[in-house]
Amino acid sequence: MSMLRGVNALRRINALRAGRLAYVGALILATAWLIVFPLYSHNIYWQGILFFSFLLAVMASGWNIISGWAGYISLGQSAFMGLGAYTTALLTLHLHRTPWLFVPVGGVLAAAVAALLGVVIMRTRGHSFVIITIAFLLILQLLALNLRGFTGGSTGLTMPITTFPRDWQYAPFYYVMLGLLLLAIAMSWAIRRTKFGTGLIAIREDEDKAGGVGINAPVYKVLAFAASAVLIGVAGGVYAYFITFVDYRGMFSIQYAVLIVLAALLGGRGTIMGPVLGAFAVQILQDQANQHFGSSQANIVVYGAVMAGVVLFLPRGLVPSVAEWARTYVARREEGLSGAIDLRPSAVPAVRDSEPGPVLLEVKGLTKTFGGLRAVDDLSFSVREGTITGLIGPNGSGKTTAFNLIDGMMRNEGGEVWLAGEQVDRLPPWSRAHAGLGRTFQITRLFREMTVLENVVAPLRDFRWRQLFADAVAGHEAERAEELLEFVGMRRFRDAQAAALSYGQQKLVELAQVLMLDPKVILLDEPAGGINPTLIERLVEKIRELNAMGKTFLIVEHNMPLVADLCDPVIVLARGTRIAEGTPAEIQRDPLVLDAYLGEGWAVEEAVGA
Amino acid sequence: MTGFVQTLVNGLLLGGVYALAASGLTLVFGVMNVINVAHGAMLILAAYLTYTIWSHTGIDPILSILITTPIMFGFGWLLYRVAIRRLAGTAASMSVLLTFAIALMIEGSLGLVYQGTFKSVTPSYFDTSMQVGPIYVTTARLYACATALVIIVCLFLVLTKTWVGRAIRASAQNPQVARLVGIDVKAVAAFAFALGVATTGAGGSLISVLYPFLPASHYQWISRLLGVIVLGGMGSLPGAVIGALAIGVGETMTTAYISPSWQTAVPYVVIFVVLLVRPQGILGRRTRQDIVTA
Amino acid sequence: MRRFGFTSIAAAALAVAAIAAAAVSAGTAAQAPIKIGISLPLTGDFSEPGTAALRGYQVWQQVVNANGGLLGRKVQLIVKDDRSDQNTIVSDYNALINENKVDLLLGTFSSLLNLPASAVAEKFKMVYVEPAGGSPKMFNRGFQYLFFAQQATAPHQADLFSKWVKNLPPAQRPKTAAYPTQDDPFAAPVVAGVQSQLEKAGIKTVYTTTYPPATTDFDTIASAIKSSGADVVVQGAVFDDGVGLIRSMKKVGFNPKALFQTSAPSEAKAFTDAIGAQNTNGIFYAVSWSPSAKGSKYPLNQQFLSTYKKKFKSNLPAEDSADAFAAAQVLQTAVSKVGKIDQDALKDWLHSHPVRTILGPLSWDSTGAPRQAFFLAQWQCAKGKCASQIVAPKVVATTKTIVNPKPAWK
Repeated sequence: MSMLRGVNALRRINALRAGRLAYVGALILATAWLIVFPLYSHNIYWQGILFFSFLLAVMASGWNIISGWAGYISLGQSAFMGLGAYTTALLTLHLHRTPWLFVPVGGVLAAAVAALLGVVIMRTRGHSFVIITIAFLLILQLLALNLRGFTGGSTGLTMPITTFPRDWQYAPFYYVMLGLLLLAIAMSWAIRRTKFGTGLIAIREDEDKAGGVGINAPVYKVLAFAASAVLIGVAGGVYAYFITFVDYRGMFSIQYAVLIVLAALLGGRGTIMGPVLGAFAVQILQDQANQHFGSSQANIVVYGAVMAGVVLFLPRGLVPSVAEWARTYVARREEGLSGAIDLRPSAVPAVRDSEPGPVLLEVKGLTKTFGGLRAVDDLSFSVREGTITGLIGPNGSGKTTAFNLIDGMMRNEGGEVWLAGEQVDRLPPWSRAHAGLGRTFQITRLFREMTVLENVVAPLRDFRWRQLFADAVAGHEAERAEELLEFVGMRRFRDAQAAALSYGQQKLVELAQVLMLDPKVILLDEPAGGINPTLIERLVEKIRELNAMGKTFLIVEHNMPLVADLCDPVIVLARGTRIAEGTPAEIQRDPLVLDAYLGEGWAVEEAVGA
Repeated sequence: MTGFVQTLVNGLLLGGVYALAASGLTLVFGVMNVINVAHGAMLILAAYLTYTIWSHTGIDPILSILITTPIMFGFGWLLYRVAIRRLAGTAASMSVLLTFAIALMIEGSLGLVYQGTFKSVTPSYFDTSMQVGPIYVTTARLYACATALVIIVCLFLVLTKTWVGRAIRASAQNPQVARLVGIDVKAVAAFAFALGVATTGAGGSLISVLYPFLPASHYQWISRLLGVIVLGGMGSLPGAVIGALAIGVGETMTTAYISPSWQTAVPYVVIFVVLLVRPQGILGRRTRQDIVTA
Repeated sequence: MRRFGFTSIAAAALAVAAIAAAAVSAGTAAQAPIKIGISLPLTGDFSEPGTAALRGYQVWQQVVNANGGLLGRKVQLIVKDDRSDQNTIVSDYNALINENKVDLLLGTFSSLLNLPASAVAEKFKMVYVEPAGGSPKMFNRGFQYLFFAQQATAPHQADLFSKWVKNLPPAQRPKTAAYPTQDDPFAAPVVAGVQSQLEKAGIKTVYTTTYPPATTDFDTIASAIKSSGADVVVQGAVFDDGVGLIRSMKKVGFNPKALFQTSAPSEAKAFTDAIGAQNTNGIFYAVSWSPSAKGSKYPLNQQFLSTYKKKFKSNLPAEDSADAFAAAQVLQTAVSKVGKIDQDALKDWLHSHPVRTILGPLSWDSTGAPRQAFFLAQWQCAKGKCASQIVAPKVVATTKTIVNPKPAWK
């Protein structure tokens, strides 16, 4: 049985690998064909259509960086094409040189404007971001229309006609745009491989959590926005030269903004090739339909219908859906992800070898209210280095809120949080993570669409540019992540999707993820909640091991035997404030604690035995 | 001074109509947390309906509200059944994309039927005006604004005084609790969405008299209305009224004292500034959803 | 680089072969029709004038085929729809040249589309006669294959009006002028042209404004013009804005001594309905074509009218249809005079010869810009009946009187 399963697994891996190989091979062949096409075919119609396809693909590929990966949907991405086009046109007209010289300037300007816009609108999310991007496009359109002396107003600007020989047909434009497309794909590929790329996806999946693992979302977003605009700006200049004419309608084009989103959605946002293939499909189908069946106003209706259809029925797009289909087809009758966790005992002795050290984490007078309710009320306690401190209390006593205040998910209204001698309560979550704070959640918050390995690679220990562009798929960071996965016994699952793991497995991966930060203090929110006893045992063992290596823990937990077994000291919370602290034995005898639990309608026995 | 008062009055009259046009948008957002980007296209659709009714039968465009409103209500209901309800549980951006797609379909369909040229509805009173002291009041604007205010008051009464209205507000504030007290939240959402779309019936009829329109006008309208509800506070009806009056006055002031060419810039500038400085708007509640807390 | 060398040799060889083949087949005549490629905005923003232009081309095709065709061959039109979209029009002309292998090209409607389309034609050295695209931007690029088949580019459309104003006796001559215009690529340059000419003649500019297409409130503009005290108002008016400003001027009680509007008054029935027939009296505008033009200077004009009426069961063709017909006429004349389809010969011939069309004689400068003048038209009322009349130039004028000064509003 197990041998059969092994053979099947092997066959499956081979099939998947063959499929991937065929896909990559096809892409390479297609690229090669595109490169030689103008050399043997002198069909200017197809050169033109492919040129437009490259243009749309460059834009969809750029869009994918900010909207596919970072999850911030831009409905005004064609604005950067317009910026590039106007820049190139204006420089050409004023400096009387060949437009090719100015095309890169358009890219730089587009990226700069995108970065600036990114800085300005950093605080907006969801709906607001989408609205702002539309408003941005329309404002630029209006500026191009109204600044007549500068932009030519409603009559626009004309570019000089090309001077290269007629025999070259559109070849120079074709190759420049194809080059830009290859560059765009290479850039996407590179970003996807770096920690920058995993960080963007982390932001899309769960921006608050991303902050908690040290990802400085604003910087990521601004960079992503600039990266998404730069090649579109360059392409805009090339497009202006090609079409010979720049006006506010054609360049700051709403229709293009829509086509970009349509292409990327159709092909598959969040993938490298999806937006590119989507762009080819959209552009070629659209024009072929026009050439052969004639067109009608129905065009916009069709865009709308396809877009609605994709949003409702194929939200992930063609490429991921096909890949998914291939995977499930191959994986039929295969073992799922219920595989055993590696339960080999660890090599490190799980014994604490030192006395509690100085205070590492200190909370003074922390306060937070929701409406009229004081969830955390003048809470003070400290966690000494090298301890496993427990934090218990009845439901609603403010434990999780305290965690949220400590790690920066929420802003405290009063009081202070000190970590290793530094006041951190005014710092954003990522800075607290960089300062040495790691946290897991009551209900796991892994980045669901990422693989296990990517989840563990994503965290940033500190903010350095070099680290941002470190390879996330291979190299040092990945090795470290694999070691951590090995440590929690989850290495076998490195390529599985996080969402496919069982709940307990997710808890282990989340622990590895937090360890990637190399934190001084690790906050665990109900680590044993909802998982089976074997896994609890495993978890306890890991916590001990880490503690032995010098990590300090603060644990919220309802499982009293576990608390009694693991924690010392234990802090008790009730109604948002600390009512007791001591060894587990002391706590169990404390009448105040009894009162607190009984007052909430709990029997101590019940609570302890739970 | 007279010029200033004149401009102010014109702005307030327009603002009244904007308030009606924006009321449905803010209602739908409040109840369903969906920004209906197709709201502008629905207004234009209703304007074309009014145009068709007026040019074929000569029925007064303001009176034709009685026809367009039920039609748009039905349209909204249908749209909810077919598409909007499938959005439950998806990201905010998906709802924007879906409603944007709907806007495109409406724009394209209108283009097929009516072509891409400006149309306007011109009843006898559309270019007459009355004089009140030194101030001219364009008759059409006066009628449109008065009608809009009556409808807004009715809408407000429906939302505050009737069971359905209370159910809508309860669902908006806390769907879980609403469910617990026996409200069919889904049915309420469908009704609220349809009601929101129905306001475009009345709004579209009114703006057909005030502005010439073409299928692509919906971009300008949705920008203007987003400006209104962003300024007033997304989801707040009184906020929408305040925001609408402010934008109306802002537009006429810009036309009079800067240049007509910059009039369309007003809502965009408002959107930018408000989302940056006070994202919850004048009367909005601050939601974690749209604002990074850190 | 070598590849391209090879290509040109191959192309040259092909061309030689093609010419030889043409020479051989010329004798047998009446075989394959001459294919003429056109892309027009049949849908989208410019669908109305685009459709009108198509009708003009179709009437021309019918007329020319009925008269024995071109070079003894039938004419076949290959028409594509560019949806008023600048990318599509480039693809369309690429396809016409390369996929449909047309012999000749004709132009499209509006400068916005003719700008990119003419660049394609220029690149592949095809003569490009376009019926509607008078933006000065068309002609500052040094194109050699481009010809605009109307009498004048936009800044010169109203030349006859400027001339008339300048030639008025000093006592009647206006001293000041106001120039409101819609921000429209077709209207604004016309107004700018009049403004610069009248300023040169010493007429002071007292008011200018550019308003967006969706403007409805003209009271502000009318009041401003009134307080500027302008004698002449020259408005770049598409349609609704022309009507709107007239209504507002009436409302604020201002009547200029002369009023010129670009295209609004040419939409005859809609215009009279909108402002009231009596109020049209004295309003000037410029047109490229007159249904009443007759004689050898306006060849085929009456045939165009009758064929159009029969073919489309409609009363009067739009100006855009006539312009398209004229563009085709220009191409037709060049081909029959040159005697063969040779793009370079055609272009050289057109640069050195005037062509007579239903719009009158046309000739071009080296950039393809025409050098004549539009007709000056004026609405005139007599005995309670109002009609538009051509008042200049004399050869086409339908009346000798010019209403001046403009009568008061009714």
